[in-house]
Amino acid sequence: MPNLARLRETGGFARLITTTPAQTPVAWSTFATGCNPGGHGIFDFIRRNPRTYLPDLALNRYEQKNMFLPPRAVNLRRGTPVWELLGARDIGSTVLRCPCTYPPDALLGQMLSGMGVPDVRGGLGTSTFYTSNPSAVSRESESLVRLPRGKGETVATHLIGPRNLKTGSDLQMEIAILLDPVGRRVVIHSSGSPEKLEVPLQSWSDWLRVKFKHGLLQSVRGLVRFHLLSLEPELELYASPINFDPDLPLYPISAPPGFAGDLAWRIGPYHTTGMAEDTSGLNNERISEEAFLDQCANVWREREAMMTLALERFESGLFYVLFDTPDRIQHMFWRFREPDHPAHRGTPPGHRFAAVIEECYRHCDAVVGKVLPAVDDQTLLIVLSDHGFNSFRRGVHLNTWLHDRGFLALRDGVRPGDDAGDLLRHVDWQRTKAYALGLSGIFLNLEDREEQGIVSADESDTIKTAIARGLADLRDEERNGVRAIRGVRPREDVYHGPYLEEAPDLVVNFASGYRVSWSSSMGGVAGGHIEDNVKKWSGDHIIDPDLVSGVLFMNRPFRGDGARLLDLAPTITAALGVPKGPAMEGESLLP
Amino acid sequence: MKILVLGLDCAAPELLFGFDDLPNLRRLMEVGAYGRIESVIPPITVPAWMCMATSQDPGSLGVYGFRSRTDHSYGNLAIVNARSITELAIWDQLARAGKRSIIVGVPPGYPPRRINGLSVGCFLTPDTSENVFTHPDELSDEIRRLVGDYPVDVKGFRTHDKSWLRDQIFAMSRTQFQVVRHLMQNHPWDYFQFVDIGLDRIHHGFWKYHDPHHVLHEPDSPYRDTVHDYYRHLDLEIGEVLELLTDETIVLVVSDHGAQRLDGGFCVNEWLVREGLLVLNSYPEEVTPFGRLDVNWEQTRVWSEGGYYARVFFNVKGREPRGVIDPSDYQPFRNEIKARFEATSDAAGKPLGTLVFKPEEIYRMTRNVAPDLIVHFGGLSWRSIGGVGYPAIHIRENDTGPDDCNHAQFGAFILAAPGSPLIGEIEGAHLLDVAPTLLERGGYEIPSSMQGRSLVTGSGTLQPAGKGQYTATEEQLVRDRLSGLGYI
Repeated sequence: MPNLARLRETGGFARLITTTPAQTPVAWSTFATGCNPGGHGIFDFIRRNPRTYLPDLALNRYEQKNMFLPPRAVNLRRGTPVWELLGARDIGSTVLRCPCTYPPDALLGQMLSGMGVPDVRGGLGTSTFYTSNPSAVSRESESLVRLPRGKGETVATHLIGPRNLKTGSDLQMEIAILLDPVGRRVVIHSSGSPEKLEVPLQSWSDWLRVKFKHGLLQSVRGLVRFHLLSLEPELELYASPINFDPDLPLYPISAPPGFAGDLAWRIGPYHTTGMAEDTSGLNNERISEEAFLDQCANVWREREAMMTLALERFESGLFYVLFDTPDRIQHMFWRFREPDHPAHRGTPPGHRFAAVIEECYRHCDAVVGKVLPAVDDQTLLIVLSDHGFNSFRRGVHLNTWLHDRGFLALRDGVRPGDDAGDLLRHVDWQRTKAYALGLSGIFLNLEDREEQGIVSADESDTIKTAIARGLADLRDEERNGVRAIRGVRPREDVYHGPYLEEAPDLVVNFASGYRVSWSSSMGGVAGGHIEDNVKKWSGDHIIDPDLVSGVLFMNRPFRGDGARLLDLAPTITAALGVPKGPAMEGESLLP
Repeated sequence: MKILVLGLDCAAPELLFGFDDLPNLRRLMEVGAYGRIESVIPPITVPAWMCMATSQDPGSLGVYGFRSRTDHSYGNLAIVNARSITELAIWDQLARAGKRSIIVGVPPGYPPRRINGLSVGCFLTPDTSENVFTHPDELSDEIRRLVGDYPVDVKGFRTHDKSWLRDQIFAMSRTQFQVVRHLMQNHPWDYFQFVDIGLDRIHHGFWKYHDPHHVLHEPDSPYRDTVHDYYRHLDLEIGEVLELLTDETIVLVVSDHGAQRLDGGFCVNEWLVREGLLVLNSYPEEVTPFGRLDVNWEQTRVWSEGGYYARVFFNVKGREPRGVIDPSDYQPFRNEIKARFEATSDAAGKPLGTLVFKPEEIYRMTRNVAPDLIVHFGGLSWRSIGGVGYPAIHIRENDTGPDDCNHAQFGAFILAAPGSPLIGEIEGAHLLDVAPTLLERGGYEIPSSMQGRSLVTGSGTLQPAGKGQYTATEEQLVRDRLSGLGYI
């Protein structure tokens, strides 16, 4: 990695202390605001509603004031981001795809929103699997459309658009799939643009611009791509999540509002959803590793193109661009590096997928190489990551552990396992003291906070201590009794600031190779305490932050010892000659 | 601000919100609030519409059904008419503020109500070609000039001639909507209410064809879609009504109760005879209505009126002419009978799930002669059959002609009010909340005598969808929001 090596020599390299927990939205919000999560309010991908005990996405929400005003998106990342501070001093910023910038912040300059931007269905990404196989069932985060198994040359079907929240039904747009087995392709006819879209076998199509009619006057526009998985014996077609159209997004995704469309005019249509790479399609084993990598390459290209374009226009101030594809590739390809990973599935040694992660790092280095010509002696270049990576071999059923230790009760007759379902649906709240939800937290069922809280303020410390001690001693008996959890910390030890009350009561720091289980993250109470992770999503970073530091390079010498994500915002203000913000907790790393 | 109430008698939330080809109703739902609305006990057209208009429960109105006992004799029951109800309705409240109303077909609406504005009689009007069915009188002629004979009901809707019945109901409803639009455009109004009775008749006449779970379901019948077709007809008619409105109008689409399939009839007096509670001097040789039975009142303790539900009366010493139950035994005896009704089962011995109510426990007061018990057999999935002479307690056919459906406790509402913060699906609405909600949204005072509360401001008692539990809608929203988050 010659470019990064050069940076290390001229400036420096350091491990960067990340946030607790080590999650993308939490970490980049700390980067942007210079605050610990207690100061910006993002503690996890997932928050919970204490009235219903339901999880929800923690990054943003929607509010509607009355029937005549459309709903608007509200960013739940609070605090003051560094670009707002700079704007107040007439210093402009260009910010491309920073997580938790949806809806875009008010800033002097341009912003393209990143993680948090939904697809037209309102989630992070819901794909559609079209199949003529009558026994197919839908998998995670996907809609399934069964196609007739007829002999005809054309199959009439539809795209699934936004859900109408009032009626619960889906908006649809008709498409016709013209089969061309000889040409090993299908052609999709629709009222979208282009009217005829070619999808070659085992390839991604170009973008199709689509429009869903909603009510008399409204319509929702979007962008979708198809991947033709199979023509025979079954017709299997995969449609990506339907992205907001940058020209006319359902909710604003850029500042100024026309910036997203302007970029599309210059570089062509691009992914707008906050998490563009289709990890679910691969995890569901709908699309292949090759198809996933192909899509990742597309995202890289888009991001590089917008970076290059924006850099050309950039003169001074703050320039930020995020390349988050390395995160997705490490999540999905970690298994190939570890022959004993439960998800490795006997891939032969030396298989080219074993080198994908290394290639990805070299790609990062190449991106840095493309930036260097634009970096002069008046420019501070910072290259950083928000967190590192690790293996995800074993999932811990936190809720089942809480159940077996008497902290969580199920309604009469319900046992941990499939019957307990997800979303904490069979929890007996009158007898439950604590529950796990999200990726790193445990909540107490606290009186006057949770709808059916039973834990009084007086006893909460005792319960927290009991859970923390018990979990810290959780042994993985199937793996030589190693500890699955390095420690559990009460939130008061980790966070401070105006949003502390929104944090989970306990933060769980998992050991290397472990993570919260798929089930517990969504409020399931599965059977057993620890299970193998056999999914393709095989690497993760939601463990003890000490084990997954990020990296930091600069083109000037800096104080690398003990450098924290918290220190970056003050470093940026210092470099631009502006005092750091009053809420910023870190210190500039510049000498 | 004007108020328009479109009443759909018997509209079922499962159908009104379930059919996806009702674009005008959907549009109202999109801009407003909607949901189930709990009806009164009993959930019957009379008194339900007037409970809604007055925000008074049936006991407070002293009206317990179409027919009411006028005193404690064993004589016939009197049919309720418009004059049976003396409480002030919402249009009377508005008249106090000088506002004009037009009400069309709001039961009981005969004799025509004398209101500040216009009124057109309901299906209880004997004959609109001979009687004055409007207020003022001359409005009858105006309507006859517009549409000819004005139909208020389909006489004899419990018929086997389904083709005739269907055509009659559709034609009646079309004529009524034509009159409604004429009145809306040609007469001043601040409050307008119409009740379409055709939907109730369609449900009772055609439910078995549309519901495959009905015991008498006939698959592939030409009437399979008649119920659905009628909802589409209503949607189109309502669409044309909405064209006539300005933005400054509160629109409420509402039903007085819901509908459910009828599993059969429970012969309540037959059952009372077998239980030894009703004693006959001679058991009839053929099926005989209760009024023509030779009852031994000296030995009879309990009898009942039939209908959609059972009104059960006790023969109390000093209250009824030949009463036998000692007043001091009344309460324990009533508890015992209540328990026996609650234990009633179907022909196979499976409990029906019968609901039994004591009037004083469900009403704020009990005017006139209230039943001693009110019984919903199988939660109203069974009718109450009053006649005696049946070979069994459970029968399939109704005693007053074919009838496929019974009423359900929950009706439906859609409220689209400019500036209302009430949006989306609402739980916990009650029929008695309608008048206070409309008054509050319209900028009027809510009289303290009203028993409901505004769905908008009275949020103290409005259930925000379960305690510690979430609704299917909330769950779906969460799943949508988290879809594609690879970590979970």
